[in-house]
Amino acid sequence: MAATPLEVRNIKKRFGDTEVLKGLSLEAQKGDVITLIGASGSGKSTFLRCMNLLEQPDEGEIILHGDTIRFKETRHGREPADWKQVVQMRAKLSMVFQNFNLWAHMTLLQNIIEAPIHVLGKSRKEATDHAHALLERVGLTARANAYPAQMSGGQQQRGAIARALAMDPEVMLFDEPTSALDPELVGDVLKVMRDLANEGRTMVVVTHEMSFARDVSSKVIYLHQGLVEEAGTPDEVLGNPQSPRLKQFLTPNY
Amino acid sequence: MLDLQGYGPRLIEGAGVTVQLAVLSLLLALVLGLFTATAKMSRHWLPHGIATVYTTLIRGVPDLVLMMLLFYGGQIGVNAISDILYYSYDIDIYINFNAFAAGVLTIGFIFGAYMGETFRGAFMAVDNGQIEAGKAYGMSGSLVFRRIRFPQMMRHALPGLSNNWMVLLKTTALVSVIGLTDMVRVAAEASRATHEPFVFLIPVAVAYLLIASVSEWIFARLQKRYDIGFGEQ
Repeated sequence: MAATPLEVRNIKKRFGDTEVLKGLSLEAQKGDVITLIGASGSGKSTFLRCMNLLEQPDEGEIILHGDTIRFKETRHGREPADWKQVVQMRAKLSMVFQNFNLWAHMTLLQNIIEAPIHVLGKSRKEATDHAHALLERVGLTARANAYPAQMSGGQQQRGAIARALAMDPEVMLFDEPTSALDPELVGDVLKVMRDLANEGRTMVVVTHEMSFARDVSSKVIYLHQGLVEEAGTPDEVLGNPQSPRLKQFLTPNY
Repeated sequence: MLDLQGYGPRLIEGAGVTVQLAVLSLLLALVLGLFTATAKMSRHWLPHGIATVYTTLIRGVPDLVLMMLLFYGGQIGVNAISDILYYSYDIDIYINFNAFAAGVLTIGFIFGAYMGETFRGAFMAVDNGQIEAGKAYGMSGSLVFRRIRFPQMMRHALPGLSNNWMVLLKTTALVSVIGLTDMVRVAAEASRATHEPFVFLIPVAVAYLLIASVSEWIFARLQKRYDIGFGEQ
């Protein structure tokens, strides 16, 4: 049996005196779409950022395909023992950010081919051909030579997804990908994400889009104050919530 | 027609010294500035401490004093080394501490501190999300620096760099005190000898202005290049 693409165990993280993650675990099998939901401050984004070590967890294990990230203790707290290992690991975990973070000084096409060329060592020609195919897929062929500042938020986020796909990632991490978008632009981005889920991509998605969580995910995890409050299939968690807090979270309050 | 009374070739030579001195000092200052900025942003106390002492010291002591300290101190240091070599190892060499090298080192050293502050501000102005995106796609620290931080920092740094360069250019005039014959020194000599200061000082002023104008043009081009994608063309 193939090893689990991404497994994290017992992640703990403090910011100063506040413990924001109190021991969180997650296992993403191939083709899983795991959505993390919860109120703001529940730790879901921090948890996601610990998975590719944009935040350093104080405790816990991260395992990619059976390869455990090694840590060492320093005066500044726990740090990866081997940054090369981290860099290689990140290349397999593409992240899509809330604020897109397309590189502002590059055109969309340049954004997409940047890491494949400089990190994966692909040829410019190969990377460019792949980029054009991805641009077509996210409906941005016409914007290949536009700079991010010239594009709408929705276009930027679809471009950022194309940039993530260009890495042929084993797992894609989405950090509230639609939260910074105008409501009318959310649909296009979600459609691209639904297509990715349907083709069997392994995804971990932090989101506030309950319809996406319900329709697409294989597993939903509801976080509250740095702990898993409920986890299970969408039907269990969203269809039949047990805890009063989750019930309240799912109740629309207009 | 302007009669330079035979000082023309020497003035041109002096202008050459000024330009070489300024450009070499600039290169040294840029390298030192990048190191200083990086050290100041480091969370380790040692590089941070060294950089802080460096910028505080340099910015708090007059350029002229530093230049003389380095020039005379440098010669004393070189002499001490050659003495040791002679008495201990019987190696007989005499090294003359070159005034041009002293000039480049001093001016580069002084302006490295100013460049350091300019770069530091510019690095801090780069949106952290841009850097995180680089990390998240498996870029090493040096790749993030080369491909993202440096090009994005430059648009913030250029106005300050351009300003520092203009001041540096004019600071080169101080080297005449350590015996370097730049164009200011030639003009001063010629003025004393001929009692016609304007004939020599006005061309020197025009020459500085010319170098400054060319620099302005180059910096404007660079600014345009690094503003690409930021909608301020």
